[in-house]
Formats: sequence, C-alpha cells, structure tokens
Amino acid sequence: MIPFDLAEPTSLAAAVKLLDPDDATIRPIAGGTALMLMMKAGVFRPEKLISLRKIESKYSGVSVGADGLRIGAMTTLSALERSADVRKNAPVITRTLLTLSNIRVRNVATVGGALAHGDPHMDLPPVLMALGATLTVIGPKGERKLAVEDLFAGYYETVLEKNELIAEVHVPAQGTKKASYFKVTTGSADDWPALGVAAVIEGDGKAIKSARIVASAATDKATRLKSAEAVLNGKTVDDKLLREAGEAALQDCEFIADVRGSVPYKRELMKVYVRRAIREALGGGTH
Amino acid sequence: MVTTLNPGSAKVGSQVGRSVPRLEGRDKVTGRAEYTHTMQVPGMVHAKLFRSTVAHGKIKSIDTSAAKKLPGVLHVVTVDDVMKVLASPYYGPAFHDQPILAHEKVRFVGEPVAAVIATDPHIADQAVQLITAEYEELPAVYDEVDALTSKVYVHDVLKPAGTFADLKHLKNAKDTNLALDYRLRRGDFDKVYAAAEHKFEHEFKTQKVLHLSFEPFACIADYKDTHVTLYDSSQGPSFVRTEIARLLGWPENKVRIKVPYLGSGYGSKLYIKLEALALALSMIARKPVKVAYTFEEMFYQITRHPSTFRIKSGVDKDGRIVARKCEVYWNGGAYADIGPRVTQKSGLTAAGPYDIDNVWIDSYALYTNVTPAGALRGFGVPQLVWAYEGHTDMMARALKMDPVEFRRKNIAREGRPHATGQMLKDSPVEPVMDKVLERMNWSQPFDKGSGTVKRGRGFAIANKAVISPTTSVAIVNVSADGSATLYCGTVDMGQGSDTAMAQMVGEVLNIPAESVRVTPRDTDVTPYDMGTLGSRSLFHMGHAVKRAAEDARDKLKALAKEVGEPEGSNIPIAELFQKRYGMQAGNVIGSGIYKPDYTPPAPGTGQSPNVTPFWMVAGAGAEVEVDTETGHVKITKLINVVDCGKAINPKSVETQISGAALMHLGFTMFEKMHIDGGQVTNASLADYKIPGFHDVPTVMENIYVEHDQSNGPFGAKGVGEVATFCVGPAIANAIDDAVGVRLMEMPLNAEAVYRALRIKQGKPLEDE
Repeated sequence: MIPFDLAEPTSLAAAVKLLDPDDATIRPIAGGTALMLMMKAGVFRPEKLISLRKIESKYSGVSVGADGLRIGAMTTLSALERSADVRKNAPVITRTLLTLSNIRVRNVATVGGALAHGDPHMDLPPVLMALGATLTVIGPKGERKLAVEDLFAGYYETVLEKNELIAEVHVPAQGTKKASYFKVTTGSADDWPALGVAAVIEGDGKAIKSARIVASAATDKATRLKSAEAVLNGKTVDDKLLREAGEAALQDCEFIADVRGSVPYKRELMKVYVRRAIREALGGGTH
Repeated sequence: MVTTLNPGSAKVGSQVGRSVPRLEGRDKVTGRAEYTHTMQVPGMVHAKLFRSTVAHGKIKSIDTSAAKKLPGVLHVVTVDDVMKVLASPYYGPAFHDQPILAHEKVRFVGEPVAAVIATDPHIADQAVQLITAEYEELPAVYDEVDALTSKVYVHDVLKPAGTFADLKHLKNAKDTNLALDYRLRRGDFDKVYAAAEHKFEHEFKTQKVLHLSFEPFACIADYKDTHVTLYDSSQGPSFVRTEIARLLGWPENKVRIKVPYLGSGYGSKLYIKLEALALALSMIARKPVKVAYTFEEMFYQITRHPSTFRIKSGVDKDGRIVARKCEVYWNGGAYADIGPRVTQKSGLTAAGPYDIDNVWIDSYALYTNVTPAGALRGFGVPQLVWAYEGHTDMMARALKMDPVEFRRKNIAREGRPHATGQMLKDSPVEPVMDKVLERMNWSQPFDKGSGTVKRGRGFAIANKAVISPTTSVAIVNVSADGSATLYCGTVDMGQGSDTAMAQMVGEVLNIPAESVRVTPRDTDVTPYDMGTLGSRSLFHMGHAVKRAAEDARDKLKALAKEVGEPEGSNIPIAELFQKRYGMQAGNVIGSGIYKPDYTPPAPGTGQSPNVTPFWMVAGAGAEVEVDTETGHVKITKLINVVDCGKAINPKSVETQISGAALMHLGFTMFEKMHIDGGQVTNASLADYKIPGFHDVPTVMENIYVEHDQSNGPFGAKGVGEVATFCVGPAIANAIDDAVGVRLMEMPLNAEAVYRALRIKQGKPLEDE
C-alpha cells in the first residue's frame, strides 16, 4: 500500500463536499473492511480517502418510532446485532447478523458500507430489501429517498453518484409480517454465501397475502424474485405451490458462476432455498 | 531449586507422560515470541517480487526502467544480476532445477521473474507494479497423467542434485517430465490377478491444496564478505545451511541460520524456499534484505501434490486380496522440490496396511506448469489412503461383505511381511481399527435418516513408514549451578517439540521439564538435524536428546567420583562443580546422535528387510447427514484414533490429532486451488477457505492408543501427521453409506455430492 491523504470531516455535509464525482481515486471510507482488501490487493489505489468516522454521531445508532426503525449508516454491524430495538422490531436482521462474516468484521463494518459497496455476496442487502427498507441519501444537491430495492445497478454497482453518501436506512414497521433469511455456503461455514434468500411474508396461517422474496450472492446483484412472489400472492401454501415458486424464481435471476458453484448448481440451490425460506418464514418466528 | 546428582526420595516425578504446558506458551499468547515475518534487523531493506503471468514461456524482455526511477527503490534485480554474484543460480533438494529468479524461461504463473529492493516494502510493492515483461508463450502441461506422455516438456534437461541415489539415472535426461519413476514388485501380480475370482479397478483423484501457515514465508539474509546470517522461517535450518554454503562455495561454518518460533509450517517451510533469493538480494544490496510474503503470494510457492491413483485388486473366493497394482501419478508442478521423495517414500506404502502377496507399485513424480508441490503433513500418504480405503469399501460393498470383516480378513498383522518385505513390528492396525469401531458404536443399529436428510457412517485405516534413514544430533549442557540447557535442531513450529524434548531431558536428569532451557535454533550453536518433517523428530531427535542427557548424567557421575563422592551420592550438582573447580564454574556437556539402521530398497523391486524404523498407524470414523436436495454434508461425528507408542505429553498428542484431522477435513470437504489456464483464480483467503470453528464436527474425539514402540525413545513415536490419513476416505465411505454415491475425487463439496446424486437418479446436472 502506498501513502494517500486521509480527510476526517466532522459532518456528513462536509464529507460530501470533499468527494469529487469525476475522480475515482477519491473515495469515502466507513468501516473499511472491503476497501482495505481492495487496497491491499492493489485493485484500488486511493489518492485521498474521506473517512466518515468523525461525522455527526446521529448517523451511528438505531432509533425506533411508530413508522419503524431508523438505522444510521455509520452504525456498525455488531451494534445492529446487539440492538434491542432491532431484535424487537425486525428480529430477522439480528438472526442474519449472527452468521454474517465474523465478529471481527462486524465490529468495524457499517450498515451504509454494506449497502454502498454493491457486493452481491453481502447478507444484509437482501434482508433489507425484503423488509422494504428505504435509504436517505445525501448529495451536493441535498437529500433524496431511495428504496434499497432500487440501489443496485449491477455487479458491484449502485445507482449512487460518486459524491452521494447514504445517511440513514429506514426499515418500515413490519406489523404481523414474518421473515426468514438463509445464508447458504458451499465452502467453509464462514465463507461468503453461494446463495442468500430472504423472505418477508404477510399472511394468515398458510394463506399468503403478500410476499417479498429476495435472492443474492448467486446472482449479479441482490434481486427481488417478483415471479415467485406472483405465484405465492393470494394463495395458500402447499408443497406444489412452493415448488412452483422455486421454479418461477429462476426467471428473475442473472446467475453467476464462481468458485462457490456453477450456474446449474446455483439454480438448484435457488429452487430449494426459495421453498425453505418461505416455509421457514411461515413456520418460524415473526419478522 | 537444587538439582542433585541422585535425588532418591527427592525425585521430582516422571517427566514423560505429563501434560506439561507449552514452555513458550506465555510468550506466544502475550505477543512476545519472535517470528521472522515480524522481525526487524538494523539497516534492513525490503524486497518484493514481480511474477510471471504466463504458465510456460520464453522471456523475451523485462522492462525495469520505470521501477528503477521510483524514489526509495535501491535495486531492481533480474536473474542476470543474480548470476553476477552467484554464477549458477539453481537450487533444490532433489534436483538443482529451480532458478533464484526465472532464467530464460518461466514455468508457472506466479514464478518470480524480478525483484525490487527498496527502503520500504510498500515502495517495493509499488515499483513491482511498474515492471513489465514480454514472453513468447509455449504450450503448457497441467495434468499429471498427461505429463507422462506429453510432448510439452517443463525442463529441457533434468539436473538431479546428486543427494539421492535413485535419481542419478535421470542426470541429463531429456524429453521427459518424469522426475522419478519408483517401482515396487513383490510376487507375480499379473498371473495372480488374471486368475483371481473377483477383479476391481478404480481411479481416484485429489486436488491442489496448500499449507497456509499462519506465518507466511519469510527470510532475512545479511550477507558479509566473510560470513552470512539468515533469519529464517524454516523447518530445516541444517539443510538451508548446506544449500547456502553450496551456492556460495563456502564451508558450512561461514553460514549461520537462525530460526525463531515458526507460525506453523506443515511441510511448506522445508528444504529451501526463499533463502537463495534472499541471499542473492543481500549480496547485491550489500545490506540485510527481507523477503516476506503476503497470504496471496503463498499460492505461488509450494502446495500439496494433486494425484491420480489407479488401483486394481484381485480378490479370491474367500474375500482375501491376493493381488494389487497401484499406479500413482504425482503432480509435482514446475520444480521438483521434494516431490521425488514423496513419490518414493509414500509410494512404498501405496498398497495399504493389508497382507497381499502380489503387489505391483509404480509411482511417478511429474513436472507440470503449475506452482510446485512438496511435503504437506503426511508426505503423500493422505492421497494414497484416500484411494485405497475408498477402493476397500467399494470392494466390500460389491462383494456384499461387511467392511469390518473384509478388512479384518486382509489386515497385515505383526510378524507378516509388508509389501516392501520388511516384517511388521509395532504396527497395531487392528487394535486401532477396533478402537474406532468401539467409539463409533459400530455394532449398534444405526439410524439412516429420513425424508431429505439421509445418514451414513464409514471408517478407514492406514499406515505409513517414517522416512529413513535420517540423522539427529543433540547436546545437553549442564551449567555449574546445576541448570540444564538443550541444543537441538528440531524446530518448534507449534507442535510442542521444545516441551516434549525438555521432558525427555528432565526424565533422564531427574529435573522438572519446566527448568530445562531449550535454545532457539541457530546453526552456529545447534547441532545437525535432518529437518522437522514427516513425524520423525520425536523418534529420531528424541533418541539423540535422550542419549545426550544420559551422556551428561554419566559425566556428572564420573565427576562425582573424581571429586571423591561415594557411589550413590546425592550431592547437589552445584556443589559438585564447586568442589571440582573451586567456584561456580565449568560445564558438563553431553552429546547424543541417532541414525536408525536401514537397508536401501533393491532397485527395480523396492524390496528391503529394513526400510523404516517405525510405522505410523491411524484410523478414523465418520457419521454424516446428507441433504439430498442440495448435496450438503454435515459431519455429525468424527472419531480419530492413532497409535503414539507412548504419549510423552498427552495434551500435545491430543492437539496434534485434532489439528491434523481438522486440517484434512478442510482438504476433504472444500479446499481447492481453482486453476484456469495455469492461473490460480482463488489465490486469496477471501476465495480459498480453510475450516473455522463452525466447521468442527458436532462430536469429535481425538484418541491415542499406546502400543509401546519397542525401539522408540521411552517407547514413543511421532504423531504430527498420522491423524491426517483417514479423514477423507472415512467421510467418503460415510457419504456412500448414506446416499449410495461414491465420490472419486476430492473435495467432497455440496455441488460434487449433488451432481453424484443426480447421476445416480439418471438425471445428470448440466456442466455450466
């Protein structure tokens, strides 16, 4: 690694000002767990890093209101994991974090970084997408709202401008919805997932009113499985319906082959785990 | 503490058999232990390597001009610069085939082509990125079976080092990739196989995996005109000294190798790795130069051998194996390293722990255009056991015989000849198997699972001959205050050898092991040892240490007599020195040397009455749950049993077993270097995963039996590798038991199992 400048602005607005939409060698750094790997591998050589660690403390923490959870973008994953508000209002997030990477990464990695990196292997984005979460994004022209679902443009690509920063994540109140997430690994237990499937279901017993199902890792980006949802919505779940949903899910996905599995194998995993995620959501705990 | 000559009632208690906590444990857990990778030497500069991007090619040009201009860069070095200081820049333990930097040709992706020496490692790294090279690409050979007949030759001429008699015939050999063709012939395989009632033939494969020591490769060379010092993360400082002296044309006493603790080695840090390069760079820079790898670079130094094993057995109508043929192809990569010894020393056990009268073994070391392969915790034996114990279960299944009874009928027992002709002694294969079966509750009914989760169980047995003949030397120094210091070249790389050796000294001298100082390895003071490898140290160095301690004890007794002490006196040792020298002065030096008897195998047949001083014996049993919808395998139980002779340090034996078994659980289940066109596509810990705590089986037992090793020090033998042998085939046999599919190639990852299930269903999954 070669020397670079490090700026530590004390406000989010100041951080935005330091970014340059036309200069890829200037980048923001939050927890740095992904960026440091890229720098060590020589894939990314910064001229200047804008650290977000000293921005306003309101961006690090979780609060709860009638409309749901507000999670500051600089909240660490371990703070999220330990948050009683999260456990009460969206326990699927708490469960997901327990198998997300490892404790050393969770202690420094941030919620905003996990989203802005655009890495399809992350566990949190599909869960937040399935929960219908939205983002507050700050740029030079001010603030805008963006659904997490609309964040990802492709493999390691987001719709964010280079001088936009995620300020906050809003997870709407889940009411009686039930949720599940499966991290499926094919190597060691703490490997990146070969597939992630999140399901959030509004229903009554086995009757599904509406389902939001999201796949990641096996796909080029976290992807909402709308065809599978269409199969399920308004129906009562049985084995046949679950199989149809699993098959339908394949239509929504751009699969990628890597050391964790071939495309045909990941398609099989998808069929199985869409079924299992729905069953788990229906049979398991709420949210 | 007062140490006395004949403590009698003051005896501190037996040191052998105690679970003495690691002598260096406190230093390690408090971050005080010294490692080469983090070591600083005054005036030290840093080197980083520019590596080949092609698998096989002629070097047309190397452009170092931009790198040289970077501030902080001292030298940019190619082989031409190396040859100005070392005219013949080739090294290696079996062949002098590996150049310090690529010479005229490159032979694998990742081979070092140029080195940058700079004041700072990051500057060196940046300068490396500014180097460019042009190659004329040549066709490459990657597969070990192809390599035998390929017209693509990795080396133009073979250059055996001269160390090993069985390689001499390969001197100046051309148009071949064969770095050793080992043969064993016993009885008449062809005739007996042809007449056998049942015939079986299978082919098993293993993948390319690597050691991944926690401390990556590191060496600091400090060259002076009159002597050279290397600070080295090495498992074999004596060999390094010999090889560096050879390269320099110097006597060994001008070469000093200092080895602090190692952050593990597993065979990767044997023989010579970065040392010749560090030496050359220090000669050029005329400063101490450090070469220290990143984890990503480890994928381009040394790996385990991938292998193809074709095994044939003839079985008679009673279920006796009467003939066996083994053809083993070892994928040695671009440079031979110690591959030819793996080929031979493991090759001789390829037929397994069975009593077979007619055995034919061909074992081939082959050059290919990938990262070199060498020793990895088991020296080839895990690849062999993977094949022969899968083969054994497949035969039992086909013969509708119980796998236990089939093995019992065929195990080679004490007093029977091994395939090499050596009579088996202290080889308790059946007792080890019985212990596995007992801990598995094998005789009890077994729940085979239901629905989409099927359960199965399996086991495997194996033996290995310790590499021979090898030599160890030790010195025990008793100071005038009665304290004892041990000088031995065995490198403690985490296995606990310092503690075990101190226990042996303590046992002989009747002092607590904790009071024995074991000096850090330094060839200026530490005597010769062949290397910390192949589970040899506790046996060979153990003997040398025991003899050195006994020699010191005898000399102390002679000293007592000399100063007029009566026979059986329990005079404190400090007083003894006081009496003799008039003050706290003097030393008693005991020395010990050990080399076992050995008869070289007869050329062509591999027969020898004495090919090894001891056998390692292992067994493992596994219970698994297979998810038939995804192919995921959960290991619910793993039983590891080894024979350790006598446990010098029971806790260390247990941790050696668990460490070895878990390491091989990773190799068995998921570890694999993915190679595409010679390029490693997962050369990082992000994409090459090793087992973590969540991969430890639900139930795991690490058990040793103590069958006294009659020629061992205190009845002991080495256990560093033995628990690696059976993990793979035990799990594969369990998967077969659960779902009726047989995997012939490691790793047994979920996709491999799922694909096998689909083939069994007659609905194979498409490839891509």
